Amino acid sequence: MTKGLHRTSIVLYFIIILASMVLLAYYGQSYYRLPISERPFHPNYELFKPSGLLGHGLGIIGTLIILIGLFGYMARKRMKIFARVGVLKYWLEFHIFLCTLGTVFVLFHTTFKFGGIISVGFWSLTIVWVSGVIGRFLYLQIPHTIEGRELTLNELKQRRDTLNEELQNKYNINFAEIKTSRFSQIKLKLLSNHILNEEFSKIKRLIRKEKILTTRINNLDRVKRLFNYWHVAHLPFALIMLIIMLIHVGVVLYFGYKWIF
Amino acid sequence: MNLNKIISLFVLCIFFGTYANAQISPGELCKAHEHLEGASNCTQCHAFANKVTREKCLDCHKEIQANINANKGYHASSEVKGKNCAACHNDHHGKNFQVIKFNKKTFDHAKAGFVLKGKHAKQECKACHKPEFIKDPKYKKKLTTYLGLNQTCLSCHDDYHQGKLSSKCTECHNFDSWKNAERFDHSKTKFPLLGKHIKVACVDCHKVEIINGKKAQKFTGLNFTNCTPCHKDVHDNKLGQNCKKCHTEESFHFNKSMKAFDHDKTDFKLVGKHKLVDCKQCHKGELTAPIKHNQCQSCHKDYHKGDFTKKGVTPDCDQCHTNDGFIPSTFTIEKHNKTKFKLEDAHLASSCMACHKKDNKNWSFKNMGTKCVDCHKNEHKGFIQEKFYPNEECTACHNAKNWKEIKFDHNKTGFKLEGEHAKTACGECHYGKNELGVRTQKFQNLSQECSSCHKDSHVGQFEVNGKTDCTRCHGFDKWENSKYDHNTSRFKIDGKHIGVKCEECHKPVMNEKGKYIEYKFDDISCARCHK
Repeated sequence: MTKGLHRTSIVLYFIIILASMVLLAYYGQSYYRLPISERPFHPNYELFKPSGLLGHGLGIIGTLIILIGLFGYMARKRMKIFARVGVLKYWLEFHIFLCTLGTVFVLFHTTFKFGGIISVGFWSLTIVWVSGVIGRFLYLQIPHTIEGRELTLNELKQRRDTLNEELQNKYNINFAEIKTSRFSQIKLKLLSNHILNEEFSKIKRLIRKEKILTTRINNLDRVKRLFNYWHVAHLPFALIMLIIMLIHVGVVLYFGYKWIF
Repeated sequence: MNLNKIISLFVLCIFFGTYANAQISPGELCKAHEHLEGASNCTQCHAFANKVTREKCLDCHKEIQANINANKGYHASSEVKGKNCAACHNDHHGKNFQVIKFNKKTFDHAKAGFVLKGKHAKQECKACHKPEFIKDPKYKKKLTTYLGLNQTCLSCHDDYHQGKLSSKCTECHNFDSWKNAERFDHSKTKFPLLGKHIKVACVDCHKVEIINGKKAQKFTGLNFTNCTPCHKDVHDNKLGQNCKKCHTEESFHFNKSMKAFDHDKTDFKLVGKHKLVDCKQCHKGELTAPIKHNQCQSCHKDYHKGDFTKKGVTPDCDQCHTNDGFIPSTFTIEKHNKTKFKLEDAHLASSCMACHKKDNKNWSFKNMGTKCVDCHKNEHKGFIQEKFYPNEECTACHNAKNWKEIKFDHNKTGFKLEGEHAKTACGECHYGKNELGVRTQKFQNLSQECSSCHKDSHVGQFEVNGKTDCTRCHGFDKWENSKYDHNTSRFKIDGKHIGVKCEECHKPVMNEKGKYIEYKFDDISCARCHK
């Protein structure tokens, strides 16, 4: 996937999620804003209610989207036969997209009514989603190869050294200076060394990259530890959510609520 | 992370979730259904693979099922019958959710089997659907129920008539107002309304009274055999109890037959001329409108225009008149004699009109005066000097018996009446024809000369100095009784002449002076008479 295509897909994910939220909120606001006891008397109650055409549909479709996002990602990540299908980073993004979109649908399916055992399912979903967002942040803190493999500490240090060497040799900027000085001070030094303006941005990027790398090297242990904890939240809650969702679906089907089927 | 941790976490979540709300429920049930809360109760309402079924609802709501079976109430209407209860009655929307909610303004109550008409249509639901009106104890405690009413009027309305009339109010009343019992047909009662009775407000006959401590109009047990139970007998039973003899239902003021009416039973008996008078002469307005009748003047105008009014009080006509007519009057001579002017003599015989209706048009009784001249014309005015009848007092000469009977001392005039003069009617001397030949009085400037009255039948034979003094020969007794002494003349009577009748010598002659007896002879010789 090219960088442009990747960026387009991210924008598209964002637009789809936002548009879904905005459209559902816009068309359903008169219903969703009503107190629960008043909703049955809303003219579109039969459409928006959780067991209604739209409400029920949102629940079913949202659940399916989440299941696809979850199991698709899990399969790619954990099953050897899918290990070579696509880049894991894009799968993660797709996983985030589908689970967020599914969560939005399910949120509107609940009609913002959070009670009963199903609420445990919903709040589990919320925890899974929030933890997913946090996990995504933590994941970024652990440098990976493009295939998704984590880099070791040595590999990181090697990368940083390469950078430092480049800065030292080319522009005479040493490690200590980067750590202590502001870029404006470094800039003055570069000017006195007759370094051309055009190279400033490149130098600046190299310095930032070096700084980020240094921070990540310093935090790597802590982040990896946090990421372990994160797994405790994200995966079990996803499991709880799934189980409750199954109970919910089971009860609903038992009593004959089959949507359009 | 190992599997144990995951399972522990999951159990923890389930526990908290269950603790928070121990049900697989999409929301709290309403108050009426709160006994059905809990996962074990889902199937009380929800059927396997069939959502919420009508049958499940009606298993509990037996009263609705009973109504549907009996084809009663809204749930038995075509709009609802066979419909799933949950289509209208949702739940799981919180404790305070109104399971029964509908637009009270647009609800077609006819579908509940009871059409709301008139005032019913304007009432709030709660005005009727309230525990006080519900008889069935099953529903009485249910504050929000719409069941339990029955359609009889008295199940909601107090029996104003206290069981004395039919319990089916609509037989008489409509739904707009209690006051107008428009459906009531009075003509079907034992007392059909006729005439003015049709227009009379019910309450005028059917009085409001207190029955069993409550206000109620009396509609039964009314006595209507005659009119007086409702109408006041203005005649105080003087005319009997059968009002219909004279009156109709149209009006008390309209008598259907005057023949039946006996005026004598009223306070005013018709007597004399009153019997002949048309009713309307006295009863100008309605015949029964009370009229004053204590005094004649209540009806009759004071014909005498206040002539008898004294100090503002006019005596009533019956002082002088009777019912038999204004004429004759009962004002007797005795009564007249008690006035300032007593009737005496000729006045007793005079008609009243002679004095009191002199112009033959208007009676006059006031300020009549008591003097003769107040009635009688003073014929002598200007003819007789007032000194002979001061203040024009006729009685100076006349009396009331007879005008002609004159009592006058003629001596006062300086001309004493003697002899035949005293016997002669006044008019002989005092009335005569004037030069125009009109009879006129002569009382003044009369000469005492005989010739001023008497004609000189001797054609001036005895004239002395142009005057003839009759008294030289005649007295006042009779002309014939002459006191003439023939011996005082040139020819003495003696001898055979004595005893000779005068006319033997004094013969009538006829010459240019006229016919007269010749008394004076130029020639007194014997040959004058004798041959």
